[in-house]
Amino acid sequence: MTSPPQPQIARATEGPQGSAFRSVDERFRALVSSVKEYAIFMLDPSGQIETWNAGAERIKGYTADEIIGEHMSRFYTPEDLARGLPAELLATAVREGRVENEGWRVRKDGSRFWADVVITALVGPEGRVLGFAKVTRDLTDRLRAQQEQLRLAHAEEAIRLRDEFLSIAAHELRTPLSAVHLQLQSLLERPEGLDERARTKVERACRSNERLVALVETLLDVSRISTGAFTLNATSFDLTAAVQEVVERFGEQAVRAGSEVTVRSPGPLVGTWDRLRVEQVVVNLLANSLKYAAGTPVELELHGDPDGVELTVSDAGPGIPASESERIFHRFERAAPMRHFGGLGLGLYVARQIVEAHGGEIHLTPLRARGAQFVIRLPWRLTPPESAR
Amino acid sequence: MSHAVLVVEDDADIRQALLEIITEHGFQAVGVVHGGEALEFLSRATELPCVILLDLMMPVMDGAAFRQAQIQDPRLATIPVVVLSAYRDLERQADGLDAVSVLKKPPSVRELVKVIEAHC
Repeated sequence: MTSPPQPQIARATEGPQGSAFRSVDERFRALVSSVKEYAIFMLDPSGQIETWNAGAERIKGYTADEIIGEHMSRFYTPEDLARGLPAELLATAVREGRVENEGWRVRKDGSRFWADVVITALVGPEGRVLGFAKVTRDLTDRLRAQQEQLRLAHAEEAIRLRDEFLSIAAHELRTPLSAVHLQLQSLLERPEGLDERARTKVERACRSNERLVALVETLLDVSRISTGAFTLNATSFDLTAAVQEVVERFGEQAVRAGSEVTVRSPGPLVGTWDRLRVEQVVVNLLANSLKYAAGTPVELELHGDPDGVELTVSDAGPGIPASESERIFHRFERAAPMRHFGGLGLGLYVARQIVEAHGGEIHLTPLRARGAQFVIRLPWRLTPPESAR
Repeated sequence: MSHAVLVVEDDADIRQALLEIITEHGFQAVGVVHGGEALEFLSRATELPCVILLDLMMPVMDGAAFRQAQIQDPRLATIPVVVLSAYRDLERQADGLDAVSVLKKPPSVRELVKVIEAHC
């Protein structure tokens, strides 16, 4: 007895090595069923789900048993259901052959994902709609990335606007401050002189004005730093002399703070730096010591070695906790509570930008028994860091 | 040359303060608002100023453009110019202007008078 001829499909499943070798149709079905990146399934003409693949299960969360036979409107949000979106999409697919739609869809667990959906009408030979093929992609990650990019762009724009405002405000403030400064100075320098009472008052007004000018200058520096317009003007000078000059300028302020300021140096330390900027660093550190460590001695110590110079500014005030040692160099930060001390919290930020632009470094000496100590190292010759070249 | 100082400054308050300080110290002073006005004034002046105090950032014609025009006019080229620079960064811009002096704004009255005395 001969065995009946094997059906073609069954014959095709047995390859020469006995491996699975099915018809093109079956292999295609297996492919669709195993695709994980896309939900690919069929609907009947009314929109009821007829097939289900691995991607559909992964994206929507239902197993085939749970969802086959259900209407595709199950995946739509209440808002889309209220406006009749599922029926509208099917109607469009019938009318135009296919329809594509992006929007929120709902998973089994109720969470939402951003979907790109293509529905294609399957039309029989007589033009009758046999059903639909539906392909859905989960684009939530892409949407999130786009939203994140947008948020970032908005944040960058807000920062740019703030810096621009800062720059304009500082420029605008500076001109009338200059006029006030000139008027007050001209009162003090009148050839015929001033009586003592008036002189004291004008001198006070002058000092307040100078503080305002300094604050505005700092704001301008910050806006220059953030817009990349911060440049250095290198000349050769003696750092010891420059530090001594700054300390002399602070003479009156030191007396008011009750602090004795001393400078120790082995002698002239001549290098190539931006004098005004380096003086500004010394000014900022000295001003900080006189402000936060008033009544304690302040010491500025300089020394040179083959690599460069080191300037140490020490006081015997309350000191700065180790946990704050990095934060204080950020914009608008300070170690002391704002209500106790005024100021913009920009001095150390500007100081670090200046020192680093010279190719140097500034840090707070960690774990000091008493007071704060800042150490600045500068190479003998201004060497801008890679990023600034 | 006269003992008059030409002040080229667009801000009215600063210009006024400079004019007052200069006259209080025994010099004559004339104020104009920008480089264009300064050139116009100089073209009509029978006596040229002994020094020009020049602001850099001004509308219509800024300090640099004025200085260029001044240098090209042989009649005006020798008038010494003192640049008033509002910002540190402008000092470098002033470098190319061949000014006899660059004063940071606001200048101290002493340095201002000193620099005027040197030329007038």
